Amino acid sequence: MSLLQISQLSKIYRKGDIQIDALKDITFNVNQGAFVSIVGRSGSGKSTLLNLIGGLDTATSGHIIFNGKDLTRMKRSELAQHRRFSVGMVFQSFNLIPHRSALENVMLALTFGGIPRFQRRERATQLLSRVGLEQRLHHKPAELSGGEAQRVAIARALANSPAMLLPDEPTGNLDSTTAREIINLLQDLNRSQGVTIVMVTHEQDVAISVSSEVIRLLDGQIEQYDQTGEAP
Amino acid sequence: MKLLDTIGLGFDNLRRTKLRTFLTTLGVVIGIGALASMISFGTGMQKNITDTFKENDLFTSLYITSKKIDVEEMASGDLDNMANLLKQPSVALTDSTLQEIQCISGVEIAFPEIRFPVKVRFGDHETRTHLQALPAAMRSYKPYNEMMSGEFFDDDTSSTLVIRWETLKQMNLLVQDEIRPKRQSDGDTLNGLSIVRSDSIVGKPIEIVSAALDGSQLPSNPMLSFLNPDRPIIKESVTEFTVSGILQKSGTFSSNRLKGGIIVPLKAAGKIPRLGFSSVWELLGDMDEKNTYNSIYVRMKSMRDMEPVREKIEKMGLHVFSITDQLEEIKRGFLIMDAILGAIGTIALVVAALGIINTMIMSILERTREIGIMKAIGGSEGEIRMIFFIEAGTIGLIGAVFGLILGWIVTRIANMIANAQFLPPGEPSVDFFYFPLWLIFGAVAFSLVISLAAGLYPANRAARVNPVEALRHD
Ligand SMILES: Nc1ncnc2c1ncn2[C@@H]1O[C@H](COP(=O)(O)OP(=O)(O)OP(=O)(O)O)[C@@H](O)[C@H]1O
Ligand SMILES: [Mg+2]
Repeated sequence: MSLLQISQLSKIYRKGDIQIDALKDITFNVNQGAFVSIVGRSGSGKSTLLNLIGGLDTATSGHIIFNGKDLTRMKRSELAQHRRFSVGMVFQSFNLIPHRSALENVMLALTFGGIPRFQRRERATQLLSRVGLEQRLHHKPAELSGGEAQRVAIARALANSPAMLLPDEPTGNLDSTTAREIINLLQDLNRSQGVTIVMVTHEQDVAISVSSEVIRLLDGQIEQYDQTGEAP
Repeated sequence: MKLLDTIGLGFDNLRRTKLRTFLTTLGVVIGIGALASMISFGTGMQKNITDTFKENDLFTSLYITSKKIDVEEMASGDLDNMANLLKQPSVALTDSTLQEIQCISGVEIAFPEIRFPVKVRFGDHETRTHLQALPAAMRSYKPYNEMMSGEFFDDDTSSTLVIRWETLKQMNLLVQDEIRPKRQSDGDTLNGLSIVRSDSIVGKPIEIVSAALDGSQLPSNPMLSFLNPDRPIIKESVTEFTVSGILQKSGTFSSNRLKGGIIVPLKAAGKIPRLGFSSVWELLGDMDEKNTYNSIYVRMKSMRDMEPVREKIEKMGLHVFSITDQLEEIKRGFLIMDAILGAIGTIALVVAALGIINTMIMSILERTREIGIMKAIGGSEGEIRMIFFIEAGTIGLIGAVFGLILGWIVTRIANMIANAQFLPPGEPSVDFFYFPLWLIFGAVAFSLVISLAAGLYPANRAARVNPVEALRHD
């Protein structure tokens, strides 16, 4: 059963007279529990695709059906619900709120998720322990290493128990050892908790080693779709 | 997300930029302070005047005349017009008219208005004032039921009178307040005033010196008398009275000048010789008819009786004048004054609102990325708009509370200065400013509305932040 069905998805940016086809006629499915990697050259539309799945942006045409519901027909408030409960986004530049501690960053997501005040602290602590940061609860983002910051971001993405994680080049700002640790963490979450992952990455070999599917984009189109055989 | 959490997020933001929040709020504090003190001044003036009206029962008083008094036409000074007015047919105000009026239901008391200038002499002390005649029945009404000393006369024919505290002061006689004898004997000995005890006045004789036509000297042609100053047609006559009581000192805004400095029983007043023309009406009106009055004062049991009684009296062919007719005009004047004062205060508040807009736009520009993050982790437009609304509203609310405190302090100081500057020493202090409950709640509501309106554009702008653009790599 597909958790995500994408069909004939297009995204066109217009800047005055210039028209940029960021995505053209994309169609693919993602099964529950899959680990999909999206690769491709810079500007090929990877982030655009991830933002559409994450409900941060709206498509020009086509359909994104998540858990049976079409994102392209949702109102803005419904998209907010989708971002809140169905997916968790992780960014290359971490995007933590600088004046809030690790704990508070995670608690903010729980606040939007409507978790009662008295449960937030405990739940955020659990989430940070899950990503191996129980010793860094009260550190501000500036006091964390890149790898630790990305772990906080992952803990935050997991806060409202989403069915899918959407990391966009999560290791782009990290050295290769730390990058490997983050990838291992994602893989662990995918395997032990069954979280479906659709990840954008630059690193071809990483993609092949951990993914069940690899989608290669070129100029907004799917150039290649590889089933690496590890499909659950 | 729960409202309490939204409020928490709004507060977080305010707390993080303490100095900026403080300065922005200070703008609102000053705006509300200015507005509140301005309006409090307008309201204070209005209250002082309405209170005076109430104190003097003007809201339940009617003045009946046989002829129509047109204040405007009299003020215009057009003699032809005035003469025409005098010629208008009229019903005389006689004792029977008085009785008829007294029988109208709703009328509490009615009596002819008698008031003329006299000199009062008490021992060596003398002053000019007006004599007012009142029926003894007035002794049970305010302010005559609260005498400072002695009591109001209880007989319409007795030769006793009530004298005002102010009239005695005019005669350089300062009556000691028996309740606080110390304070006044300490300070007010200056200015040639002699301090006296009230029992050295009450019960003592007093002389009323009035001017009257000397019939025996009246020549056939009055013009001749002016040519012959040795034979004055006007002579002074002295009537002996006894002081029955001293009337309480009244507030600064009370219209003492409208009333008499001494109050004499109705019938006794009729026996005092006097010139007939204390008013122009008497001079020009028909003098031949005995026992007619210029005007009759009618007091109603309550304000509700005003209109029905007025209609009935008008049906009798009489003219009715009430100060409340003028009150509408006065009220309109106050409305204009309030509007001008309010406008000045509002300008201050509008400037403060621009401060709020500025601060919030700054804050949104700085926090675009943060807003993008909040959207990416599930914040809805409504929630983000609400966070900023709460920030603006909090500034407005705190600004209003402290603005009211500031306004109150400013008006207290201004009131102290005004009392010291404009009121003669010894007068009871007057509150020039008034903070009614509606002003307090109104100021808070107004401040909230203005600050929320100021937050409207920034909050919407925050809500519409495009997360993809906000989160693009730096
Ligand atoms: N807001 C926008 N307005 C106009 N063009 C845009 C906008 N966002 C993206 N694009 C264009 O769409 C195309 C795809 O962009 P996208 O960010 O998805 O690429 P990407 O594959 O993520 O690249 P990178 O690996 O560098 O992150 C690019 O040509 C980009 O210039
Ligand atoms: Mg990208």
